[in-house]
Amino acid sequence: MDLHTEPLVLNMGPSHPATHGTVRFLLKMDGEKVLHCETEIGYLHRGFEKQCEAGTWTQVFPYTDRLNYNSAIQNNVAYALAVEKLLGITGQIPERSTAIRTIMCELSRMADHYTNLGASMLELGALTAFLYFVEARELTWDIIESVCGARLTSNYVRVGGLSTDLPEGFAAHVKEVFPVNRVFWSEFDKLLTKNRIFLDRMRDTGGISEENAIAYGFTGPCLRACGVEYDVRKANPYLLYDQVDFDIPVGFTGDNFDRYLVRMEEINQSMRIIEQLIDKMPGGPVNIDNPAVRNPSKEAVKGRMESMIFHFKNTIEGIQVPAGEAYVPTEGSNGEVGFYLVSSGGGKPLKCRVRPPCFALTQAMGEMVQGAFLSDIIPTFDMINLIGGECDR
Amino acid sequence: MAGNYKKVNRTLKMTLWERVYVFEIIRGVLLTASHFFPNLWGAARSYLSGDPSIRKIKTIYYPEEVPPIPEAYRGRPVLVRGADGKEKCVACGLCEVACPPKCISIVGAMREDGTRYPETYTLNGAVCIFCGLCEEACPEEAIVMSYDYQNLCEYDRSLMVYDKEALLIPEEKLSKRLEYIRRRMYNKCNY
Ligand code: SF4
Ligand code: SF4
Repeated sequence: MDLHTEPLVLNMGPSHPATHGTVRFLLKMDGEKVLHCETEIGYLHRGFEKQCEAGTWTQVFPYTDRLNYNSAIQNNVAYALAVEKLLGITGQIPERSTAIRTIMCELSRMADHYTNLGASMLELGALTAFLYFVEARELTWDIIESVCGARLTSNYVRVGGLSTDLPEGFAAHVKEVFPVNRVFWSEFDKLLTKNRIFLDRMRDTGGISEENAIAYGFTGPCLRACGVEYDVRKANPYLLYDQVDFDIPVGFTGDNFDRYLVRMEEINQSMRIIEQLIDKMPGGPVNIDNPAVRNPSKEAVKGRMESMIFHFKNTIEGIQVPAGEAYVPTEGSNGEVGFYLVSSGGGKPLKCRVRPPCFALTQAMGEMVQGAFLSDIIPTFDMINLIGGECDR
Repeated sequence: MAGNYKKVNRTLKMTLWERVYVFEIIRGVLLTASHFFPNLWGAARSYLSGDPSIRKIKTIYYPEEVPPIPEAYRGRPVLVRGADGKEKCVACGLCEVACPPKCISIVGAMREDGTRYPETYTLNGAVCIFCGLCEEACPEEAIVMSYDYQNLCEYDRSLMVYDKEALLIPEEKLSKRLEYIRRRMYNKCNY
């Protein structure tokens, strides 16, 4: 006898314990099978882009921290690079500043991957692995905190420089932490990579083909997991990425397991980049010597009238950025991060548009889980690493 | 530069040993045990001897113990009270305009000797995002980020609005931060 069945409409989210980030999936289910998945975002919309138009160019920095809060410094850097391009001072940034920015970007990438992988494993039930990576992330954030004074809300980079130089003993601190992090990495690897339960949930789930990934606008680890050799750090080098030696892991099929492997390997490569740069850290100033762009030092402000005037003008009216538009692509830990800025000349951005990497990834969610099981949504969603702050802005 | 795109090792060859899984569970348990027992032993030893530094776990017993705060830490913004007991602030209003969420409001006034001072200085701690831009803007080193992060929350937001008296901290207590910003942040050699 044929039983009359109807698809079940199931609401997953907006605050579901197994989906980190506020997002809602409207699922049409046939038993355990997903017939259709509709993704609803926007629960964390804060009006970031509009907010940017209200303040000066410098006042945008603290807000960029809140986009991808796991790797805040990468957003700072992406924004600073775009403003510097508008100002036409890209080549004048001191070498030390660029080196520090590169190091901090890679530290953030490590922290981001630790969080993403750890939290994903937590949602798959592997609490121990999560704790190991959280401890590794904690150590990484300790380094970041000692540099810029906060873990998440770093507000570290400024147009034409940095808010502060590296602290004393930075290299020693990094060299002390990395061996510990490597132990955690290998323990995490031992617990999971050849674990049958883990493999069953990750391998061949949530896959996407190369063409579709490109068509959806994928970037970052999820694109490379499909086998596409594209990384902004190699394809379009910025900062010091053309001067360091590092590999970029690429996957085969674009399923969750490939994404996991790509991220795991990227942690190692980030450590490699940092270790190379720390050994040949250039000396010298961290800020550009151009009072119209970067506030002069406090001594100068107190001692010289011109510096004082620049300081007041920069703070009250903002840095005077010539009219034009600029976009600088950078490789965030989740994909390509970039700020498209329009200036009409003057102290405030006319328009600021962020290219959030996880927005493109999230829109493919429906396709990736079509025909899969309900439980496949969890690893798929984890591996695309939606960050509400960045996706919804 | 050297270094290129490298394929990940996806096709893991699982030995029979690994596919049976039971032994793998034992291996996993051994790995977690290698954390669990040293942690337990360290915690017990530190409890008995009262020395927290020998404990192996990263978590601490807050608030009995507090984590070490790095020099760069940005806590609650406070005003500096100079050695003469007066505020250093000259009510120039730079911090007011530099603050991204606009949480500072100042009313300036003139002293009898002609120097300016803030008659009222209000900082809304419920709105402040601890960004440190006010510290960067102040030409007088009159507002600095302290290392103060405890007991800042209240059940009522109006209690988080700090007036001048609540913000003023003697210079000696802030000497570490003042020294840090002079040495590392706005030092001439950084430019
Ligand atoms: S720390 Fe930032 S938000 Fe807080 S008062 Fe200073 S400028 Fe304003
Ligand atoms: S910038 Fe400094 S001197 Fe000026 S009003 Fe603010 S605290 Fe006072």
